[in-house]
Amino acid sequence: MFSIINHLWLMQVSFGAIAILGFSIRSNIRGWKLVFTSLGGAISWGTYLMFLAWSSSLLLSIFLATLSVCLYSEFAGRAFRVPVSVFVICSIIPLVPGSGLYYAMKAYIDGNNMESLQLMGRTLMIAGTISVAIAVMSSVTNLFRKMIRRF
Amino acid sequence: MSDVTLNNVAELAIETGRLVLESGGETHSVESMMHNVCEGFGFSYNQSYVTLTGIFLTVKSAEGEVVTLIKRIGGRAVDLSKISSISQLTHELKRRNSSAINNPDIAAMSYTEYREKLNKIDTMKHYPFWVKYICGGITPGFFCLLFGGSWLEFAVAFVMGIFVSIILRQLTRLNLNTFLLNAVGAGLIVWFAKMAGLHIGYMNTDKIIIGGIMLLVPGLAITNAIRDTMAGDLVAGTARTVEAIFIAAAIATGAGSMLKLWSLLV
Repeated sequence: MFSIINHLWLMQVSFGAIAILGFSIRSNIRGWKLVFTSLGGAISWGTYLMFLAWSSSLLLSIFLATLSVCLYSEFAGRAFRVPVSVFVICSIIPLVPGSGLYYAMKAYIDGNNMESLQLMGRTLMIAGTISVAIAVMSSVTNLFRKMIRRF
Repeated sequence: MSDVTLNNVAELAIETGRLVLESGGETHSVESMMHNVCEGFGFSYNQSYVTLTGIFLTVKSAEGEVVTLIKRIGGRAVDLSKISSISQLTHELKRRNSSAINNPDIAAMSYTEYREKLNKIDTMKHYPFWVKYICGGITPGFFCLLFGGSWLEFAVAFVMGIFVSIILRQLTRLNLNTFLLNAVGAGLIVWFAKMAGLHIGYMNTDKIIIGGIMLLVPGLAITNAIRDTMAGDLVAGTARTVEAIFIAAAIATGAGSMLKLWSLLV
């Protein structure tokens, strides 16, 4: 799983971080939070590549990467006293299936209906996986918060 | 805290909610911030109902007087720094004012102080436009590299991002709706990438187009839809889901029509 960590992986991760830096400036984030949103982008893409190399399953790696990003955002949001969604919104962008959407449309325009349907299904599946992972993580953290308050 | 009236607090709370909702906040965090404001000024009985297009708020004083306000929300933009500043402000208000009751050394935040700070956040400066344009180029460029593009494709995607950002910014002034804006953006991205592929050559235009589309994908809508639904706010969750589906459909429409047009003309 960790054997994928080499200079190519590092390059990919830093590209992800810079892309998310640009995205967060477009969303008008200021100050130190910029560093942490870029780190979130790096974490999402880095863990996605790592889990993909380990399990070679697309949906599982997207699920686990989203989980780790959401966990990271819960801590970052607590630390800055801002809503957690500020960090989640910026960090999950690399995982959002924009490419699947485009390739499905392109296949349909080229006349490959079956391929287009297949790609569309995969795109929807990725979107669903991201949603479920966010849902799981936000439920788990709610549960934890309640447990901490009780004991 | 005797200088604040019920009306003032209700107005201030709903103004806070409006600012957060118009900057793209989650509805349950809007509700908790408005609750913080009311409680910070000593009105612990308050109920709010927030949807994406309007806020309803009822505050009750200790004497039994009741005020209800409704606010209609117009456009929604993305301004995450406004959300985070207001969140920090309401936390500070609640913490300071609740500790000031027991401890006379701490000065409670007064109505006017809160109002001034809120106005300051509302009129906070954005990044200058050239910074936003350059960032609009950086994001597609590096996403293009991320999905396996070459450095030549990076350069084209960078220029394309700046070009598309400038045009989208000009179109926003015309108050186009979200669907049309995203469709036009996706169409422009495909057109620019195909033009570059025609004139420069030796490029995989798909990578450039995907990099550009990542500028438009509904990340905020997906995230807020799920988090609102999980917080129990089914109305807002459904509305955000529909928004996400519509944005995705708009991107597919714009890109698809431009691809078809290109295949017919060239």
